[in-house]
Amino acid sequence: MEIVVCVKPVPEAESRLRPDAAGTGFDPDGVKFVLAGYDESAVEQALLLRQAVAGSTVSVVALGPAARVDEVLRASIALGCDRATAVEAADLPLADPVATGRALAEAIAALGRHDLVLFGKQAGDDEEGLVGAATAEALGVPFVGHVIDLRPAEGGGRFTFRRSVERGEERWEAPLPLAVGLQQAWNDPRTATLPAILRSRKATIGRRAAAPAPASSGSSAPVRFALPPPRQGAKMIEFATPEEAARKLVRLLQEEAKVFP
Amino acid sequence: MVDFSLSAEAESLRDLARKFARSEMAPHAAECDRGPRFPEEIYRKAHELGLMNLNVPSEYGGSGLGLFDQCVIVEELAYACGGMTTSIIANCLALEPILLGGSDEQKRRVLEPFCASYHLASFCLTEPGGGSDAGGLKTRARRDGDHYVLDGEKCFITNAPHASLYTVFATVDPAARHRGITAFVVPRSAEGVVPGKDEEKMGHRASSTSTVRFEHVQVPAADRLLADGEGFGLAMRTLDQTRTPIGALATGIAQAALDHAARYALKRETFGKPIAEHQAIQIKLANMAQAVHAARFLTWHAAWTIDRGGRGTLESSIAKCFASDAALHVADEAIQTFGGYGYMKEYPVEKLLRDAKLTQIYEGANEIQRTVIARELLRGYA
Ligand SMILES: Cc1cc2nc3c(=O)[nH]c(=O)nc-3n(C[C@H](O)[C@H](O)[C@H](O)COP(=O)(O)OP(=O)(O)OC[C@H]3O[C@@H](n4cnc5c(N)ncnc54)[C@H](O)[C@@H]3O)c2cc1C
Repeated sequence: MEIVVCVKPVPEAESRLRPDAAGTGFDPDGVKFVLAGYDESAVEQALLLRQAVAGSTVSVVALGPAARVDEVLRASIALGCDRATAVEAADLPLADPVATGRALAEAIAALGRHDLVLFGKQAGDDEEGLVGAATAEALGVPFVGHVIDLRPAEGGGRFTFRRSVERGEERWEAPLPLAVGLQQAWNDPRTATLPAILRSRKATIGRRAAAPAPASSGSSAPVRFALPPPRQGAKMIEFATPEEAARKLVRLLQEEAKVFP
Repeated sequence: MVDFSLSAEAESLRDLARKFARSEMAPHAAECDRGPRFPEEIYRKAHELGLMNLNVPSEYGGSGLGLFDQCVIVEELAYACGGMTTSIIANCLALEPILLGGSDEQKRRVLEPFCASYHLASFCLTEPGGGSDAGGLKTRARRDGDHYVLDGEKCFITNAPHASLYTVFATVDPAARHRGITAFVVPRSAEGVVPGKDEEKMGHRASSTSTVRFEHVQVPAADRLLADGEGFGLAMRTLDQTRTPIGALATGIAQAALDHAARYALKRETFGKPIAEHQAIQIKLANMAQAVHAARFLTWHAAWTIDRGGRGTLESSIAKCFASDAALHVADEAIQTFGGYGYMKEYPVEKLLRDAKLTQIYEGANEIQRTVIARELLRGYA
C-alpha cells in the first residue's frame, strides 16, 4: 500500500508572532516552523499502518517556502517516513486552500500510486481544515474528515474508521483510494530518536515547484492581522488553605466580577 | 569568520533534548529532588532516544556526537533538572577512557553490548583520601599472572549503585605516584565489587552517588586500558573532554534561574508596580543575563576548540570554572529576586542554587581549574 501524508509547516506553539510591515499577516522573521498538532497524528498513523500492512511505504509531502518545508519533511523522515517531497511555493497565496490543494494533488499524482492520502483534520495554525478536501477533490479521490481508529478492513482494499459526531459516533467503511483528515492516531505521536534525527539531516528530499494558482484564486485575501489585546483583569488569589481560596474566590466573583448577586 | 548560530542539525538535536527535558524530566524534577528518588524510567527513556551515550561513536552503538552538539543537549537537559542530567551524562565520563585508551578489540567487546541496551557506567577516580590530588590515589592493582587484583575504595561515584560497568583507576606502584596509575574496565558482576549505600546529598538528588569497594577483585589483563602507569594521563585526557559539558550543565541551570527570576519580576508587585520596574531588580537581571551569555559562549568556544582537534585544556577549564561560578551566582540572585518565596521549597529556585553548587566541585574543583588556567596562561608569558 502506498501511503501519502501531507504536512504543513506551522509556527512553533511558543512563537511570539508580530504583524508584518503590511499588517496583513505575521512577520515570519525569527519564527520557527515545525511539524505539529494533527499532522503529527497523521504521520504517526501512516507509520503504524505501514507496519500493519506489509509492503507499504510512507511518502510525505509539504508545501511552502523551501526552508520551512525542509524542516517538517526532515522531522517526518526522522520519525520514519520513507521519502519526502518538497512542493516549493515561495509566494503561492497560502491562505487559498483550493490553490494549495491543487498544488499538493499534482505533487501526489507525480509520485505514482497513492492508495491512502492522510492529512491532519486541520492545520495547527489556521485550523481551517479545508486543504484535505481540496486536495482530494483535485485528485478525484473521496475525502472523509474527523477520522479516528482508521484500520484496514479484512480482505484488503478497504478501510474502516469512526467519526465522532454530535450525540454519537459513525462507523464507516470505504474503498481505496481514499483521502482522510485524521483526528487521532492509534497512539500518541512518537518522538524521533537522536540517530534518526542525524540520518534525516542527510536524507534526500525530492523537490518540485508548486503548480501555479488557478486564475480564480486570490480573489479573497486577508486584509489585517492583529494580535489579541493583552488580557486584563487577571487576579491571583493568595491563600493558605483550599477553604480560604474558595472563600476569597466567591467574594471576588460577587463583589468585583459581579457574576453572582 | 566565526559563526555563533547553531547549524540546522544542532538545532534539531537541541529541539529533541528540549522536548525530552520539558516533557519527561521537568515534571518529575521537584519530586525526585524531594524524595530523593533515582528516576530510572527517565534514564531508560533517555537511552531509548539516544540521549545517553552521546560521545560513543555510532559504530559501537552510541550517538557519535562531537563536543559542541553534546553541550547543546546537556544545557537543555540541565535546564529541566541538574541532577538527572548528571546521571544521564555520567556514562560519557565513564566511557571516555575506553574511547581514548581502549584498543579496537576492547571497544568492540565492551562498548557494543553496553550501548545496545540501557546500562549505566561509573568513572571511579576519587577516593576518600582525596579527589583533587588524583596522583596520590591508594587503590592497589597487583599483577598476578594474566590478571590483576584490585583492592581499595572509591567515593562520591556517580551512579555507582546502579552501574553495570566501572572504569577504575588504581596504582601498580604507590611510590611512583601518578606514574603508577593504571586504568581498568571492571564489570559490576566481578566478585568483590561492592557499591555502598546512596549518599544523602545537598543537590543533584535525582542522581545517585556512593562509594565502591574493590575487595580482591580479579581483573583480566585484557581489561586494562593502555599500559601500566598510563592511567593518570588517560584520566586527565578524559577530564579534558568531559569538563566542557559541565560548563553546559551549569549554563542550563543558570538559564533556568534567569527565566524564573525574569518571569517572577514581571508579575510580583511592590510599591504599586512590578518589581521588574525597580532599578535594583533590573540591574540584577541584567547582570544575570550577562553571566548566562558569557557562560554559554565560553562553553561553546571550548567545545568548538576541542572539536577542531585542539586539546582545549585552558578553554575547557575557563568554561567549566566560569559557568559554574555563574550558575551559583545567578541562582543566588534568582532567590533574592523571589524574596521570601525564593527561600521556600515550594518554589523552584532554591533547588537551582543547591544544584549549581556541585558544578563548582566535581570534575575538578574550581580551585584546581584556576590552578590549571594560571599554569596554561603563564606558560604563554614565560
Ligand atoms: C555529587 C558528586 C558526584 C561525584 N561524582 C564523581 C564520579 O562520578 N567519579 C569520581 O571519580 N569523582 C566524583 N566526584 C568527586 C569529585 O570529583 C571530588 O569531590 C572533587 O574532585 C574534589 O575532591 P575532594 O572532594 O576529595 O576534595 P579535596 O581534594 O580534598 O579538596 C578540598 C578543597 O581543597 C581544594 N584544594 C585541593 N587541592 C588544592 C590545591 N592544590 N590548591 C588549591 N586548592 C586545593 C579543593 O578545591 C577543595 O576546595 C563527585 C563528587 C560529588 C560531590
